[in-house]
Amino acid sequence: MGLGPTKQQPSESFPPPQSKRRRQCQSPALDMGTRNHLWLGAKRILTCYLVGLTISDRYATIVSVTGDSMHPTFTAASSSLRGDVVLAERSCLEKYQFSHGDIVMFKCPSDHRELFVKRLIALPGEWMFLPGSHDIIKIPEGHCWVEGDNAASSWDSRSFGPIPLGLIKGRVTHFIWPPSKIGRLDTKIPENRISPV
Amino acid sequence: MRGPWSLLRGSLTGALIGVTINDRYASFVTVHGSSMLPTLECHPAKDRALVSRLCLDTRFGFSRGDVVLFRSPTDHRELMVKRLLALPGDWIQVPSAKEIRQVPEGHCWVEGDNADVSWDSRCYGPIPLGLMQGRVTHIVWPLNRIGRVERKMPEGRVMQR
Repeated sequence: MGLGPTKQQPSESFPPPQSKRRRQCQSPALDMGTRNHLWLGAKRILTCYLVGLTISDRYATIVSVTGDSMHPTFTAASSSLRGDVVLAERSCLEKYQFSHGDIVMFKCPSDHRELFVKRLIALPGEWMFLPGSHDIIKIPEGHCWVEGDNAASSWDSRSFGPIPLGLIKGRVTHFIWPPSKIGRLDTKIPENRISPV
Repeated sequence: MRGPWSLLRGSLTGALIGVTINDRYASFVTVHGSSMLPTLECHPAKDRALVSRLCLDTRFGFSRGDVVLFRSPTDHRELMVKRLLALPGDWIQVPSAKEIRQVPEGHCWVEGDNADVSWDSRCYGPIPLGLMQGRVTHIVWPLNRIGRVERKMPEGRVMQR
């Protein structure tokens, strides 16, 4: 009867650590690897989505044009394909770089869910000739006057008056579709509308 | 493998998530001016409030009596905080002009709680709902003023559509 240390034989219920690990990795080995891949893939997709959202909210977004109030600059949606697709940049909102003739995208003052695209005719503080009459109006502070190129079928400031600049959500700069029109938008500064006071 | 590259990636992702939350879900705003006394104060310390942007989705959950954040109609770079009193189609009594006006489609009427110093719809008229930037739900600073910002309507001024 010695008081020395006793040595226990490893039994079936306690396999040595190495083979246990190997067993765990071998049968669900594919699942572990696939799970990792799926997780990585999901993270990448989420990151791309967030980057896309942030760019769209703050820098530039892509808009499809409908309606013919801006004919001939923009062509309305045809039956086969949607209308012109354009790039609208948002950096103008912070730097306050609006100029005459810019085509701006703004929330409709009588329906905040709709976005309109029209040309900027007059900036705050300017005196402007009303179309079709000899009247001159002063654009109030913080507001602007927008009109569609196709005067006959455009619902714009001639109906709802000058709009607050806070409603503007972007400025259209480039065509993206159709391919024949891809490139920068030509600027067209409206003539004889601003009265030099 | 936690090197500096991994740390940079982690902080960029964190910043991206923060920016998205700020733009679309909730953000903080500091109160200047006393047009919303006593609900929101700026002396002795400027109140900081939590603004919820969830209401800007398609359901557009603004109710009469909410305190709202919107772009000033006279300076698009400025944000203003006032109480929303009337929604499109409502009739509102304007005390100073002794008249009753109807709020046009797509617009709303905002007034500050501190009527004497508030520059609001009584001066510049109803504002388009497209100017809305969020709804003030809670005050988060200073600590002794933490709490909900309650919905409140003045008596007998607004006739709902």
